[in-house]
Amino acid sequence: MKAKKRVVTSGKERPVEKPKRRPTTRTIRSALVGPKPAKGSRPGPPQVAAPAVVPPVAALGGPALVPPPAGPRARRPGELDPAAVDLRADLGRGLVLANPVLVASGTFGYGVEYADVVDIGRLGAICCKGTTLNPRLGNPPPRVTETPAGMLNSIGLQNPGVDAVLERYAPLWAGWSTPVLVNVAGESIEEYVGVVRRLEGVPGVAGIELNISCPNVGKGGLQFAIDAEAAAAVTRAVRRVTELPLIVKLSPNVADVRPIATAIAAAGADALSAINTLSGMALRPDRTGPFLGNTYGGLSGPAIKPVALRIVYEVTQVVDIPVIAIGGITGLDDVLDFLAVGAVAVQVGTAIFADPGLPVRLVDELRRQCAVDGHGSYRPLIGTALPRRPGAPSARGAEYRP
Amino acid sequence: MTMRLVDAELLESREILPGQFLQHYHAPALATAARAGQFVHVRTGDWSGLVLRRPFTINTVDRATGVLSIHFREVGRGTAWMSRLRAGEQLSMLGPLGQGFQLDPRSRHVLLVAGGLGVADVRMLADEALADGRQVVLLYGCRAASEVYPSSLLPDEVEYLVATEDGSVGHHGLVTDLVTDYEAWADQAFACGPLPMLAALARLAAGRKARLGVATLGRKRGGGRPAVIGSPAARRKAFLQVALEQHMGCAVGACLGCAVWGVAGPQRVCREGPVFAADEIDWEATVGGATGKR
Ligand SMILES: Cc1cc2nc3c(=O)[nH]c(=O)nc-3n(C[C@H](O)[C@H](O)[C@H](O)COP(=O)(O)O)c2cc1C
Ligand code: FES
Repeated sequence: MKAKKRVVTSGKERPVEKPKRRPTTRTIRSALVGPKPAKGSRPGPPQVAAPAVVPPVAALGGPALVPPPAGPRARRPGELDPAAVDLRADLGRGLVLANPVLVASGTFGYGVEYADVVDIGRLGAICCKGTTLNPRLGNPPPRVTETPAGMLNSIGLQNPGVDAVLERYAPLWAGWSTPVLVNVAGESIEEYVGVVRRLEGVPGVAGIELNISCPNVGKGGLQFAIDAEAAAAVTRAVRRVTELPLIVKLSPNVADVRPIATAIAAAGADALSAINTLSGMALRPDRTGPFLGNTYGGLSGPAIKPVALRIVYEVTQVVDIPVIAIGGITGLDDVLDFLAVGAVAVQVGTAIFADPGLPVRLVDELRRQCAVDGHGSYRPLIGTALPRRPGAPSARGAEYRP
Repeated sequence: MTMRLVDAELLESREILPGQFLQHYHAPALATAARAGQFVHVRTGDWSGLVLRRPFTINTVDRATGVLSIHFREVGRGTAWMSRLRAGEQLSMLGPLGQGFQLDPRSRHVLLVAGGLGVADVRMLADEALADGRQVVLLYGCRAASEVYPSSLLPDEVEYLVATEDGSVGHHGLVTDLVTDYEAWADQAFACGPLPMLAALARLAAGRKARLGVATLGRKRGGGRPAVIGSPAARRKAFLQVALEQHMGCAVGACLGCAVWGVAGPQRVCREGPVFAADEIDWEATVGGATGKR
C-alpha cells in the first residue's frame, strides 16, 4: 500500500465541504465544544448537538435513505449506517480532521516509514518527530527498553533540523490528504520561534504541535512545561509569528497541570494535547548502572493511561479549547474513555510499534460503535464522564494524592 | 523492497541447544523477499503486557515452500512465550526489514565469524554464498562444548571450525584467534556476535591490508571514485561486514530508538543496518555505551 493521494482518500471519507485550513479570523471556540460556559460552570457534556448533516433515517424506521449495510449482519432498529457517521474533529483555527485518531510524535517518524503497511490517507493526522532549529544527534544508545506494560525512550530529539525536514518531507506531505502537524522543540523561546517562522506558509505543514517538555536553557534547564509562566511565554511568542493552528503538548511531570493548561490557553493556543511521556528509568540486567545511555527516559504505553486519563479529565474542565488525549491507547475502549473525559481527539503512540494497523482500525471501530449506538456523530461520546456541576477548581492541586 | 505485515504459522519448533530454539514458520511473502542479514519484527502474545515486538534475524528461508526460520535464545518473557508456541499457532511478523549482507559477485572465498547466537545472523548467508559456488568457512565461538552449534544444521560444503573459551572442544580460546589463519584466504568476511568480539574483528580488519601487503594487489575492486559511506557498493568493498543488534521500538526507521554511534553520526540498526561495514561504526563509543549483554 502506498500513501494515498489527496483525491483518492478524500473520496473515501464522507463528502464534506472542504475545511478551510487557514481562515484569516480566529475561531475563538471550536464548534465541538459548544457555547462558552459562564465562568466557573461547565455545560452538561452531552448537550452538544450533533450536526444536522446526518439524517436520523434509521431511527425513524422509515425506508433507508442510506445505502444498504456492507457489514455481515443486518442493522437493528436505531442503528445507523457506519459510513454515515460524522467523525470530523475540529481542532480550531480551521483545522478540521477527517477523523479524531492521530498518530503521536516520535512514534510515526515523518509519515513515510510505515507507508508500506499503513494506509496513511485514513489517519486523522500525523504528528511528525520533534523538530528543532539545528540538527541534533540525539542521546547515546541504548535509547529504548521495554518495561511492564510500557516502554522507556530517551531518543534525545534526534532530527536533521527544520530546514532538512521541510526539504525532505514537506513536498510529500503537500500531496497527502492527511494533515501533518510538525512537532516543534527547542531550548529557548528564540529557537521555538525560529522553527515556527520557517514552517509558516510551507505547503504540506497543516499545523504545529509545540513540545514544551524541553529544558529551557535560559531558565537553568527548567522545562517550559513545568512552569506556567514559561509555558505561556513560549506559546505567546510562537502565536505571534504564526497563523497556523497551534497545539501545545502538556507534560505529566508536574504537580498540578491545570494552571499550566489555563495559562497556555490564555496565551493563544488553539488546542492542547496531553500527555507527553512520564520521566522514569531502568537498570542494566546486572544492576551495574542505568540501562539507558541517557540514564532517564520517558515512559509510554498502557502503563501511563491512568495518568493520562486523570490529566485529560483535569484539563478539559478548566480550558475551553479542544484537548487531544495521548497516553497508552491500545484499543477502542481507551479511545472511548478519553472522549468521555472531554477529549475531542486522540493520538496513538507506542501501540503502533506492536500493531501498526491500530490507528486506522480504531477509526473504523469508532465509526461502527457510533452507528450501533445510533449516534450520527461521535460528539455525543465526548465528556460523558465529566462531573455535571464541578466545584471550584482546587487550590491545592490534585487533592486525591495520598 | 516492500515490507509486509503477515500472520505466520508455526510449522515446527525445536530446542536445538539448551534454551535455544529453532522455529520454522510458513510466511511465503517474507521468505520470497528476504535477503541474508535481514530480520523480522515479531509480535508476542498480548496477555503478557509486552508492548514491543521482538526483532529476529531471518535464519534460513526456503523459497520453494515459503518457509522461514528463526533461531533465538529464551532470554525473557517474550521469547519464553514464543518457545511455548505449538505448531499450527500463528504470530504476526513484520518484514523483511533492514539492509542485508552485501556479497561481492567477485568474491570466491567467504569467511563467516559467529559468536554464540550470532550464528543465526550469518547462517542464511552461507546458503546464499554456496548457491553462487563460493567457498565458505564458518568460525564459531562459544563458552563450552554444550553450546556448540550443531554441524547438522549447516550445509555440508561449509568448512566449520569451533573455538570454546573453556577448551572443551576445538580451539581453546576466542574465535577471533582463528581469524588470522583465514584473513589472507578470504575475499570478504561477515560477522555477528557480542560487541567486544565484533570490535576485535574490526581492529583486525583495519590492520589487514598492511599485514598482507601485496596480497591485496591485483584485486581490482570497483576502482575509480570511492563509494558513498554506508552504500551497498562501499559495504561490498569493505573486507568486514558486521550485523549489529540493538533494542528496537518500531524496526522501520520511525522512532530512532535503535541507534548506534557510527563514524558519521547515529545510525539506525533497523534501517541503515543491521549490517554495516565495520569501518562505519564508532567502536569505542558503541562498545563503551552498550550493556555488553546479548
Ligand atoms: C520513541 C518515542 C519517541 C517520542 N518522541 C517524541 C517527540 O519527539 N516529541 C513529542 O512531543 N513526543 C514524543 N514522544 C511522546 C509521544 O508522542 C506520546 O506523547 C507518548 O508516547 C504517550 O503516548 P503512548 O503511550 O500512546 O505512546 C515519543 C514517544 C516515544 C515512545
Ligand atoms: S527501531 Fe525505530 S528507528 Fe529503528
